[in-house]
Amino acid sequence: MREILILLKPRFLSFKNRAISGNLKGRKIRFLLFATIGLAFWGGTFSIFYRVLTYFHRLEEFGDILAYKLLSMAIITFFSILIFSGILTTLSKLYLSRDLSLVHSMPVSREKIFLSRWIESTIDSSWMVLIYSLPFFLPYGIVYNAGPFYYAMLGVNLLSFCLIASSLSALMVMVVAIFLPAGRIRTVFIFLGLFLFLLLLISFRLMRPERFVRPESFMTFMVYLKNLETSHSPFLPTTWFFDSLRAAFSGTVGNVLFDSALSWSCAIAIIFIATWVSGAVYFKGLSKAQTVPRRFFSSLGFKKRGYEFFLKFLSKPARAFVVKEAKTFLRDQTQWSQVFLIVALIVIYLYNFSVLPLEKGPMKMEYLQNLISFLNMGLAAFVLSAVSARFVFPAVSIEGDAFWIVKSSPVSIRTFLWIKFFVYFVPLLLLSELLIVVTNILLHVTPFMMTISIVTIFLMVPGIISMGIGLGAIYPDFQSENPAQSVTSLGGLLYMTLCIGFIASVIVLEAGPVYHVFMTGIRGASLKGFQWLWLVGSFSVVLILCLMAVGIPMRLGEQKVSRYELGHYEISEKVHKSESIW
Amino acid sequence: MIELKNLTKRFGEMVAVNRLNLSVSGGEIFGFIGPNGAGKTTTLRMMGGIIAPSEGSVMIDGINMADHPENAKKRIGFIPDRPFLYEKLTGMEFLKFTADLYDIEDVLFYERSEKILRQFSLYHWADELIQSYSHGMKQRLILSAAILHDPKVIVVDEPMVGLDPAGIRLVKDLFRSLATKGTTVFMSTHTLAVAEDVCNRICIIHKGSLIATGTIEELRLKAQVQEGDLEEVFLILTEGESVP
Repeated sequence: MREILILLKPRFLSFKNRAISGNLKGRKIRFLLFATIGLAFWGGTFSIFYRVLTYFHRLEEFGDILAYKLLSMAIITFFSILIFSGILTTLSKLYLSRDLSLVHSMPVSREKIFLSRWIESTIDSSWMVLIYSLPFFLPYGIVYNAGPFYYAMLGVNLLSFCLIASSLSALMVMVVAIFLPAGRIRTVFIFLGLFLFLLLLISFRLMRPERFVRPESFMTFMVYLKNLETSHSPFLPTTWFFDSLRAAFSGTVGNVLFDSALSWSCAIAIIFIATWVSGAVYFKGLSKAQTVPRRFFSSLGFKKRGYEFFLKFLSKPARAFVVKEAKTFLRDQTQWSQVFLIVALIVIYLYNFSVLPLEKGPMKMEYLQNLISFLNMGLAAFVLSAVSARFVFPAVSIEGDAFWIVKSSPVSIRTFLWIKFFVYFVPLLLLSELLIVVTNILLHVTPFMMTISIVTIFLMVPGIISMGIGLGAIYPDFQSENPAQSVTSLGGLLYMTLCIGFIASVIVLEAGPVYHVFMTGIRGASLKGFQWLWLVGSFSVVLILCLMAVGIPMRLGEQKVSRYELGHYEISEKVHKSESIW
Repeated sequence: MIELKNLTKRFGEMVAVNRLNLSVSGGEIFGFIGPNGAGKTTTLRMMGGIIAPSEGSVMIDGINMADHPENAKKRIGFIPDRPFLYEKLTGMEFLKFTADLYDIEDVLFYERSEKILRQFSLYHWADELIQSYSHGMKQRLILSAAILHDPKVIVVDEPMVGLDPAGIRLVKDLFRSLATKGTTVFMSTHTLAVAEDVCNRICIIHKGSLIATGTIEELRLKAQVQEGDLEEVFLILTEGESVP
């Protein structure tokens, strides 16, 4: 046990030192900001779930069935998330961490190294799921008037639940690592997770849950649910957790203790098995992880390239960066696999418009169609901002440790940033215009609205991309192992806030004049003098705003990156960082 | 070819490089040595245009780095101490990327890249991703990329780190041959034997300030040592101090 605690110490000390060193003020602001957002999300989820359960509780006959069904679904979902998160974290802790060579060179047994890593992994993969599972479980206690026993058993069972998920993940990873290098396992699991998520997302949307709002469908749904009231397999940890909570509502102590005992004995048994397995196979897998996996598709040879023809119009340095960006993106599975997710979201986005029940709306159909089309500009721009936050904002940080190449190359930082801009501008403009045009076609909008939408999006996209590149350059993180995560930083948050402000300003500025033009068109009248003035004024301000959104962030980003100094040794870097970033 | 005038770099209160004045001629191999934390890497990074000096200037082939950074950088082949590269590119793709940045004609690129890759024993690895390269191979790839555009100046930080004996011999021969053709090599190193072996002149920097410059004989005189190698001279001149 002493060795395990010693192995865990660096993690604890790093955490402690991080809390007391560096820029405390900046960290406090960031902590407060994220804590507020987290708390708001937690509170929001709690209040929604509380209201839903209160509503269910009032429904006679079906209420409890629905509540229990929901509880069972929530437990299965949390378990799946815990397993998935556990796999990725364990994989990283056991096979991919940078400090593994150091740890394995120490006179400590493999089982103890495994246990220390597994404890870290369990904490890392479970703490957030635990916190965000509470707004689901706590309202049950309140709505069903459960006593302190429920909350105590909830805590006890949640712990064993996390331990089971984490030890199962570790077992799976260790067994698979015997056959596949760790780098490849991560790819496989990421794909599997993404595929399952997409499948769930699409199937849920195709179920058209909005139909259940209609009373006639709702009754059919109730009957269906009643038929589903069957018991789950008694061998699953999710069943024990569910049964123990259900028994705790009614205060059936015997049943609760029995299910809790099952859960804990299972957790202890799997931890024991995993530790035993680690002694036998962990080192073998680790040795395999040191080798680089073979590429799925090996190179055709450098001279057989066709893309150069399409990039002839670019200057050589620009072409060099475009090719580098494209290749890096296409060869990084964590990057390009997310394109599937975006495609699925677009399909669902468009599908939503195709099934909009406009004919049942209280307003005139033509008016409603065009109103939705107008608001859709904001929605499409927001979707673009979210996509940009994931891909464009980290575009500068993604250079990582290799940023010295850019700095030492005979290409100015301005050129470098503009190349980055155009690399993302072209595909994202096409994506946004595609969304707008197809949704407008589905809505059968007037040619005027179609033109306004296309032009507005054309004006907004450069601003959104430029803010992404610019703010990404103002808040770069070249040290991050996963630059995509930089979107969760202060800079990322600022980027999203600015995007929302920018989109809202454009929509608000255009709303008045567009309404007048549209209504006069419907009435067959023509615009009056002040309306023309308003129209020209508003659109001029929109144009200026869009130009500012392009120019200012790029300029500020250029200044910041030009001053950014790489590579000086630790002490000076700390001093400089604290001066320059905050 | 290289002129450093009052070159100074401060990080907050700390002075990393203090009023450094140096002049290096064309075709010279110039060694830049000093204890850990002396300011070698910071100086080299200022020369490469990677960081800006707090004061003073860097002139490369008569071009001021601060005023015309792109033109000055075109004349430099920069080799950092740690081989961080674009891991998802192949070796050949990285060379092509570099060639395009320096605007090298395609025909010339294919001719040169093949020759250089063979020279550095990387030809058979040219189509493999850089992520599968060893540390030494990455170092050799950076060296290949740095000489691809036939620079007038090579600025190299710790060139021998990670290289095997054959690689070290190769680099030494390469620097000598480049210098014969008029290329200036500005090299920072801890491997004093290499500095002694290949450098025409050596500069010792300590705590950010230049403490001695000259040929080995001149440095011996300054250290008041009749015989003995560069290591002894170095230790005397830096008073055996070393920053951890």
